[in-house]
Amino acid sequence: MKMLFKLAFRNVFRYKRRTIITFSAISYGLGLMAVGISLYNGVNARAMDNIINYQTAHLKILASGYFEKKDEVPLEFTIDEPQKIKSLLKDNQDIQGIESRILFQASIITGMDELPCLGVAIEPEVDPLVFKIKESIKDGRFLEPSESKIILGSGLARDLGLEVGDDCVLRLFLSTEDFIWNALDLEIIGIAKTENPMVNRQTVFIPLSLAQEALSLENKVTELAIRIKDRNQLLEVKDSIQSQLATLDKNYEVVSFEEYASDFKELMRLRSRIQVLIPLMMILIATLGIVNTMLMAVMERTREIGMLAAMGMRKMEVMLVFIFEGALIGIFGSLTACVIGGLGGWWLETKGFSMSFLGKEMSDMLSFFPVEVFKGDLTVGTLIFTLVLGIVVSILASLYPAYKAVKLDPIQALRHVG
Amino acid sequence: MSIAKLENIHKTYHIGKIDFPALRGISFSVEEGEFLSIAGPSGSGKTTVLNLIGCLDKPSQGKIFLENKDVSDYPTSKLADVRRHKIGFVFQTFNLIPVLTAEENVEFPLVLEGTKDSKERKHLAEQILIEVGLKDFIRRKPNEMSGGQQQRVAIARALVKKPKLVLADEPTANLDSKTGEEILNIMLELNQKTSTTFIFSTHDKMVMDFARRLIKLRDGKIESDQRGS
Repeated sequence: MKMLFKLAFRNVFRYKRRTIITFSAISYGLGLMAVGISLYNGVNARAMDNIINYQTAHLKILASGYFEKKDEVPLEFTIDEPQKIKSLLKDNQDIQGIESRILFQASIITGMDELPCLGVAIEPEVDPLVFKIKESIKDGRFLEPSESKIILGSGLARDLGLEVGDDCVLRLFLSTEDFIWNALDLEIIGIAKTENPMVNRQTVFIPLSLAQEALSLENKVTELAIRIKDRNQLLEVKDSIQSQLATLDKNYEVVSFEEYASDFKELMRLRSRIQVLIPLMMILIATLGIVNTMLMAVMERTREIGMLAAMGMRKMEVMLVFIFEGALIGIFGSLTACVIGGLGGWWLETKGFSMSFLGKEMSDMLSFFPVEVFKGDLTVGTLIFTLVLGIVVSILASLYPAYKAVKLDPIQALRHVG
Repeated sequence: MSIAKLENIHKTYHIGKIDFPALRGISFSVEEGEFLSIAGPSGSGKTTVLNLIGCLDKPSQGKIFLENKDVSDYPTSKLADVRRHKIGFVFQTFNLIPVLTAEENVEFPLVLEGTKDSKERKHLAEQILIEVGLKDFIRRKPNEMSGGQQQRVAIARALVKKPKLVLADEPTANLDSKTGEEILNIMLELNQKTSTTFIFSTHDKMVMDFARRLIKLRDGKIESDQRGS
C-alpha cells in the first residue's frame, strides 16, 4: 500500500502544469465557496439580529386582527389594557423586557419637503431593555419620557437635511383612507444610525405619551414588544405567554420575529436555494478538473498500465493508484481552499464591507435589506465541510478514470504507442 | 522438469469480421534452465506465443501447462497471480515506471508479490542491480539512464523475485548491436548462474546465435526446432 501511495504521490507531480491547473481550480473554487458560505451565514445572522434589535424584538403581542393588516400599520386594532398584560407577565422569568409601542403612518415636513415615514412611539425608559435604538444614537441624545422631542433615522435626516436641534413637523395619520391627520411641531433631539438601513431610512421615534395624545389613543397601544432572555427558547416562551394571555377576556395574538419578518424569511429562503447552487457549481468544476486530469493520465500511461498488469498487479491495486492520485490533488486543493476560505472569511468577519461603496443611489435601492455592513461568519464547520467536500468529490471523480484504467486489456495496452 | 508445455495451441484473433489465425497448432515443451529463442518474421506468431506462456492471453484451442499445471482455463485473476509469482517480463521498450528510481522499479515486483520487509526488498534490489552492472545507477530515474541501462534495470526487475521463467519480447530491438550483445550476455550469464529459464522472441540473427535452442515460426506454425551448444 505504501508503495502504491508513493507511486501515486510521484505521479501527481509528473505532469506539473496539468496538476497545477486542476489544483488551482479546486483551491479557488472551494475557497470562494467557503467565503460565500461565511458571508451568507454572517449576513443572515446579522439581518435577523438587526430585525430583532431595531424592528420586531423577539415577540410581539398584537390585538386580534392586527397581524393580518400589519403592512398598513393600522390603528384600529389596539391593545386597550397594556398595563394589565404587563403585570400579568411580570413574573415570567423568561422575559427580559416588555415595551408598549404604537406604530403609525407619518410624514416629516420641513419647509417645502415632505417625506413619508414610519412613526414609532416608544417608552424611553423601557425601550433599551427590548431594543438597541438608544445605543445607536449617533448625534444628540435618546428620548426622555413625556418630552415633545423626536429622534430621526439617519437616512431620513440626511435626505431632509436635518440635524439635531432643528425643528420639524411630524404629520401623524389617524386614517390614511379618510386622510385624517394631526401634526406636531417637534425638536430633533437625536439621530439614530442603526445597523439596519431600513430603520435609518424610514423611521422616527417619539415618546409614547405624546403619540397617544396626538393619535387620540389614551392608554392604548398597537403592540407590546418583548425581548426574551434566551432566543433558543422562543417557541416555548411564545407558548407560555399565549397560555397566560388566554386568561384574559380579550383575544390577543403572540407573533414571533420570524413570523413578523416573513417577507425577509422568504427572501432568505430564496437565497438559500441560490446558495445550494454555489457548492454544486464548485463540485462540477472540481469533478470536471479531476476527471479530465485523470483521464489524460490514463491515456498517457496506457503502456505503463499494461506493464503493471503484466507484472501481476491486481485490478484493485491499479485502481487505487489512480484514486490516490485524484485524492491527493483533492487533499492539496481542499487544504489550500481552506486557507483561502479561512483568510477570506476572517477578513469578512473582522472588516466586512459596506454597501455604501456602491454609491448612495445603489445603496438606497438595496436598503430593503436590513444589513448595512456585510460581515461574514466563519465557522470551523464551514472549513471542515470545504475540506471533506473537496476530498470526497476528488475521490468520486477519480473512480471513472480508474475504472477505465483497469478495463484496459494488458496486451493491447502494452502495444499502445503513446 | 518441464517449465512450460504447449499442446496443439491455436490462437485466432477476430479483427472486425475477419478471423486472423495467429497460431495454427503449435506444440513444444521448455525444460528448466533453457535459454530459448523464438524467432521468425513479423506476424509469424512470436509475441502471441510469449503472451500465452506469460498468461497474458488464453489460447483459442489447445492446452498450456506451467510446471505441469494446466493454466489454459484459469480465470483472469488467477492468471495475474501466476504472473505475479512465477514469471518475469522484459519488454522491447523497457517499460520502467518513470517516476520511480532504478532501485524502486526493481523493488516493485517484490511489493506486488508481498515481500513486506522493505529493508529486505531494498537489499535484494540493490544486489541484483549490482549483478547487472548498475551499482552507480541505483538512485537514478529511467530518464537519467541510457537505453541499455534501462533494459538492465528491466532485467533486474524481471529477476528480482527469482521467477522460474523470464519472458523477453524482442529485448534488444531498441538497442544498438553492441548494447544488445551486452544485454544478451547478462541474460545468458544469469541463466547459467541461477538456472532461470529464459524465453525470448527475436528476428535478429545475432540474438538467434546466442540462443541454446532456437524455435523458428512461420505463419503460425513451427518451422524448425534446433538445439545448439
